[in-house]
Amino acid sequence: MRSINDIPIHVLSPDETLTGQAEAVLSEIADLLGRLLETGEAGSIDLRSLPLSPADRDWLNAKLGRGEVEIVLEAGGRSVLTETAYAGVWKVQHCDTEERVVSEFIEVAYIPAIVRPAGADIENAYEKLQSDLKQIS
Amino acid sequence: MDKEETLLDHMEREGMSRRTFLKYCASLASLMALPPSAAAAMAEALGKAKRPSVIWLPFQECTGCTESITRSHTPSVEGLIFDMISLDYQETLMAAAGHQSEEALQTAMKENFGKYVLIVDGSVATGLDGAYSCIAGRSNLDLLKEAARGAAAIIALGSCAAFGGIPKANPNPTGAVAVSDIIKDKPIVNISGCPPIPVVITGVLAHYLTFGTLPELDGLGRPKAFYGETIHDRCYRRPFYDQGKFAKTFDDEGARKGWCLFELGCKGPVTYNACATTKWNDSTSFPIESGHGCIGCSEPDFWDAGGFYKALSTPANPLKYVGAAAAIGVAAGAAVSVANRASKNAAKAAHEKTTLSDIEK
Repeated sequence: MRSINDIPIHVLSPDETLTGQAEAVLSEIADLLGRLLETGEAGSIDLRSLPLSPADRDWLNAKLGRGEVEIVLEAGGRSVLTETAYAGVWKVQHCDTEERVVSEFIEVAYIPAIVRPAGADIENAYEKLQSDLKQIS
Repeated sequence: MDKEETLLDHMEREGMSRRTFLKYCASLASLMALPPSAAAAMAEALGKAKRPSVIWLPFQECTGCTESITRSHTPSVEGLIFDMISLDYQETLMAAAGHQSEEALQTAMKENFGKYVLIVDGSVATGLDGAYSCIAGRSNLDLLKEAARGAAAIIALGSCAAFGGIPKANPNPTGAVAVSDIIKDKPIVNISGCPPIPVVITGVLAHYLTFGTLPELDGLGRPKAFYGETIHDRCYRRPFYDQGKFAKTFDDEGARKGWCLFELGCKGPVTYNACATTKWNDSTSFPIESGHGCIGCSEPDFWDAGGFYKALSTPANPLKYVGAAAAIGVAAGAAVSVANRASKNAAKAAHEKTTLSDIEK
């Protein structure tokens, strides 16, 4: 072997493994977005449950692009919620404490549900803040 | 953790936030094939769940099932669920040995009579009155009958416990049978696979904790959430099958392009399991993604079902329909799935004994 170019590696274009499934996901997102506008009802798509090839994933990511907002959640591992170029369409990736991806969704909502704090948590926060203030004064 | 404590109490004590729990539930719902919208309802029910006693008996097995489950035992969804059960007897994992461990088993059965979940891995030897496989001087057959009496439900973990598995393969010298061949009066969930997917067992436990009932089962006693569709139905190479694009050898142009492995003996079309979606090795990939066909390990008698490298149409006539459809490259996926399901029993009956030439193909 004279040079590295002699190693018989055949490079494939990612287009060759596109299955056409990602297009279907994109139209489902469009349907969900229409429903959000009409009824205010949020929707989501579980990306793990779909037979997408790596090329399909890349295609979908490229089509969705990036928006202005990125939310990072530190709760039992990192979660990243990224707004896509389409307002109201979010990419949600949950990782565990060992940084392994445990679930991936496309969420169609004004704000992804997990971001909004629960009423009970705000009640607890209010009580705690009041007792902390008492201790200061 | 106290047995009366709920999961929500336990979480708060451990300093886990509500969002962390919601995140776990979203991931659990995903792996249980529930719609993403079910996560909130699940969080509410799971939060109120109590900790059940679990007794795990190993029979004619290779410990592969235990390896599979414990490999997922990290601070994750599975870890959370395992924290939620009281695993009172498990020979491989428990610290006690000998008489101590047998005492632990008797105590757990007595204290939780009628309420514990019994997990069995391995098949049950029935030859020579069960003498082929004994623990502490008692046959598996005897132990199973005793432990099943007080069980609320039984989980037959792995293809051996579910269907007899490799010990039952021809000529079955030990007279190995499945748990369901012995126990007829208790609800049994079969979690087949060699080994089963770790998250399937945690998914079944999560379902039991969330709803207080066992999940909906298919005709072979397997939870539909995980075994409702074939590997083929959810395979990312499926579109190539529909387009009639097949790899003919493991190193040809088609194999490199990731085309369908049907003609190389993939058993995906007749195998019900969740490998294509939940995947293996921390969700890295599954056999087809690594370029090898499915061997059908979650189906009954997979070991005797012809060669792993023989295309499905070869061993049995009824399945020739699949071969014909594939050859002309029609998009008859759904029809083929139905045809496969209907012809599976016929195919089983017609299966030949594996010969060396089958493996060499």
